[in-house]
Amino acid sequence: MIDKLSDEELKHAFKTERKPEVVEKQKLNVRYHVEDPVVEGRAQKFLEAFAAILKNTNYGFVLDQYVRSSAKCSRCATECQVYQATRDPRDIPCYRSELLLSVYRRHFTVGGLLKGRLFGSGYLTDEKVNEMAESFWNCTACRRCSLQCPVGIDHGLVTHLGRYILSEIGIAPRALVVSTREQLEGKTGNTSAIPVPALLDTLEFLEEDMLEEKQVEIKFPIDQENCEYVFFPAVSDFLMEADTLMGNAAVFTATGDSWTIGTGYFDGINYGLFYSDRMLDRIVKKVVEETKRLKGKKILIGECGHASRSAKYFVPVFCGGKDAPPVINCMEYLWEQLKKGRIKLDPNVITDVVTYHDPCNISRQGWIIDKPREILRSFCKNYVDMEPKGMKNICCGGGGGTVSIDEIRPYRTSIGGKAKAEQVRKTGAKYLVAPCANCKKQLRELMEDQGLDVEVVGLHDLVYKAIIFDESLKKKAQEQVPQPEESEVEK
Amino acid sequence: MEGVLEFVGGPLFRLTFAIMILGLIRIFALAIWGSLQAYREAGDKVLPGKLIVRNTVGWLLPIFRLWKTRPIYSLVSFLFHIGLILVPIFLLAHIRLWRDSIGFGWPALSNNLADILTITTIVAAVALFIGRITSRNARFISRPQDYIWPLLLAIPFVTGYVCNNLRISATVYQWMMLFHMLSAELTFVMIPFTKVAHCVLVPLSQLVSNLGWKFPAKSGEGVAETLGKKEMPI
Repeated sequence: MIDKLSDEELKHAFKTERKPEVVEKQKLNVRYHVEDPVVEGRAQKFLEAFAAILKNTNYGFVLDQYVRSSAKCSRCATECQVYQATRDPRDIPCYRSELLLSVYRRHFTVGGLLKGRLFGSGYLTDEKVNEMAESFWNCTACRRCSLQCPVGIDHGLVTHLGRYILSEIGIAPRALVVSTREQLEGKTGNTSAIPVPALLDTLEFLEEDMLEEKQVEIKFPIDQENCEYVFFPAVSDFLMEADTLMGNAAVFTATGDSWTIGTGYFDGINYGLFYSDRMLDRIVKKVVEETKRLKGKKILIGECGHASRSAKYFVPVFCGGKDAPPVINCMEYLWEQLKKGRIKLDPNVITDVVTYHDPCNISRQGWIIDKPREILRSFCKNYVDMEPKGMKNICCGGGGGTVSIDEIRPYRTSIGGKAKAEQVRKTGAKYLVAPCANCKKQLRELMEDQGLDVEVVGLHDLVYKAIIFDESLKKKAQEQVPQPEESEVEK
Repeated sequence: MEGVLEFVGGPLFRLTFAIMILGLIRIFALAIWGSLQAYREAGDKVLPGKLIVRNTVGWLLPIFRLWKTRPIYSLVSFLFHIGLILVPIFLLAHIRLWRDSIGFGWPALSNNLADILTITTIVAAVALFIGRITSRNARFISRPQDYIWPLLLAIPFVTGYVCNNLRISATVYQWMMLFHMLSAELTFVMIPFTKVAHCVLVPLSQLVSNLGWKFPAKSGEGVAETLGKKEMPI
C-alpha cells in the first residue's frame, strides 16, 4: 500500500503538545488532551467499568467468540494504513484487539480466572490500561481490517468497546467530551455551540446569497411541522460548509419536497459513536425527539459519514427498532430525485477532474457506494475513481473521531492519512469530493500538510454549482425580489 | 506393546474423541445461544443478511479472496487446511476402522491423493512454523499455542505417512502407530480449548460480529445505572 514513513516523519507524527507536568499528574502518556482521568486504582476502576458494560450489553458473547477463535495470523496488518505507515507491530489490528481480549480472557472467563488463581499472574495493571489508552486512539476505526480477518473478528468493534470502557474511567479525548457535553447539557445544545439566533442569521445570509447567485428563492425552512424530512447536518457545516448546505437547499427547492431544520435540535454529529455508547444513545434520542416534535416523517442526515451511520444504525437500536423514524442520507435523496428526473444538472459547469472519497462510515458495510458516483458521473465530465474504493476504501486518516483532536494533527496527516494522500495524488484530481464533515476537515489538512493542490468539496457543493432551476422558479423569485438598496440601508 | 496400542487405540481414543466432540458442541451451542440471546435483546433486529451470508461463505471457501493479500502465505495456509480437514476424515485406513466399530463407512480418498495431501500438509505445517518464527510481526503477536499447533498437527501426519508408505520393522511400526494415535489424541483434547476451536466458530463469526453492533435498547441506561452515573453530568 505505502512505504514506511522515515524516522524524521515518524518523529514529527508522534510529537506531543501535552505538558510534562500534566502527563505526570494524570499518570497518562497519551498525545490527546484528557480532562480528568481516574488516577488512583485505574486498573481496578477499568475492570469495574468493563464489568458494568458486560452486564448491560451483549459484548460478552462477541468477546467469547473472539478469544476462542483469534488465530493471530496478522493478515489484518496488510490492510491497516496506520500499520503500513509505522510498521510498528503494536499497530497490527490483531495486537490492538488482543490488548482488550487478554483482559477479558483473564478477568471475565472461567479459564482465565482459574489460571489467575493458580499462578497469581496476569492481573490488569495501570500500565496496560495506559497502553490501551494510547493504542485505541491510534486507530482511525475505519474497520478495513475487518474485511481481511478469516475468522471474522471485527477489530473496529473491539476498539469501539475499548474506548467506551476507557471513557467510563475518564480517559477520552477532551475535544470529544467537551463537544458532547455542550450538545447534551449545554445552553446551545450542539457540538459547535451555535446559538439559535446565530443559526437563523447564518441561514438568512445564505438565502440572500443564493438569491443573488441563482436568481431563485432558495429557503431553509425553519421549524415547519409535518414535513417529509427533518434535516440534521453535521452542525459544523453551518460554520464551515456553507456550499454543501446551499446545495442541500437548492435540491429541495428544485424538487419542491417539504423539509425543515428544527431550532429545538439541529446537530447530526454524534461523537458517542467514537467513544461512548451511553452518549451515542442519548444523542440519537435527541434527533428522534426533535423529529417527533416537528411531526416529521423521516430523518434526513447531511453530508457526514459518522452522523449518517450513527443515525441509520443506532436510531433503530435505541429508539424502537422498526417503529423508529426512517433515516436517509441526503445523497440517497438526491440520487432518487435525479433518477426521477426532478433534478437537472448542467454537464458543462464542472469540467476539471473530479474524484470521490468514500467515508468509511457509509461505505464499509456497503451502504452508500454507487449512488454518489452515479450522481457525479451524470454531470462531471472528468470523473475518475480512486483504487481501492467502495467497501475497501482507504480512510481519510481522521476517522473514529480523531479528526476533532486538533493536537494530533501531525499524526493524522502523516501516519493516518499518508495512504489517502498517495491515492488522491495518483488521480490528478482538481476536486476531491468527500461527503463527510470529518473527512473534509481531515482531507483539507492532509492536502495542505502533504503539499497537494486539490480542492476538497462536498458532493452538494458541486451540485449547487451545476443545478439548473425551472424557469418558473426564477420568475417567482423576480416577482418577490426586494430592492437591494433598501435592504442595504436597513442593515 | 500390543496392550498399550489397544488401550490407546480403544478407550483412550474414545475418551479423547468424546472430549473433542462434546467440547466443540459446547462451544458451538454457546455461540448459538449467545447469538439468540443477543438477537432477542437487540434494539434493532434488522441484520444485513446478504452480507453475512456472502462473507461467511466467502471465508469458509476462501478460494477467491485469499490471494489478494499475502498470496504465498495464503496458499500455504489454504493447503494446510485442506489436508487437515480431508485426510483424517477420508483416509481409507481410518474409514475401515470406523466401519469396524460403528458399522458403516463413507467414500474414501484414493491412496495417492491422500499421500499427496499428507505431504503438502506436512510441508505447509513446517512452512507456517518457519513463517511464524522468522517474521518479526508474527512473533510479536504469537502466543505459545501459535507455535505449538503447526508442529503438533504435523506429527500424526508424519507418523501416519511413515506407517502407510515406508518399509519399517514391526517394532518401529508399532512405535510409530503409538505416536500417531497419541499425538492425534492430544490434538483432540486441545482443540476445544485453544484457537483451533475456530473450526466450529468460523461459520458463525460474521453473524456474531454483525450482532455485536446491535446493542440492547436499554444498554446505555443500564450501564449508567450500574456505574451510579445516572444523574451525573458528563
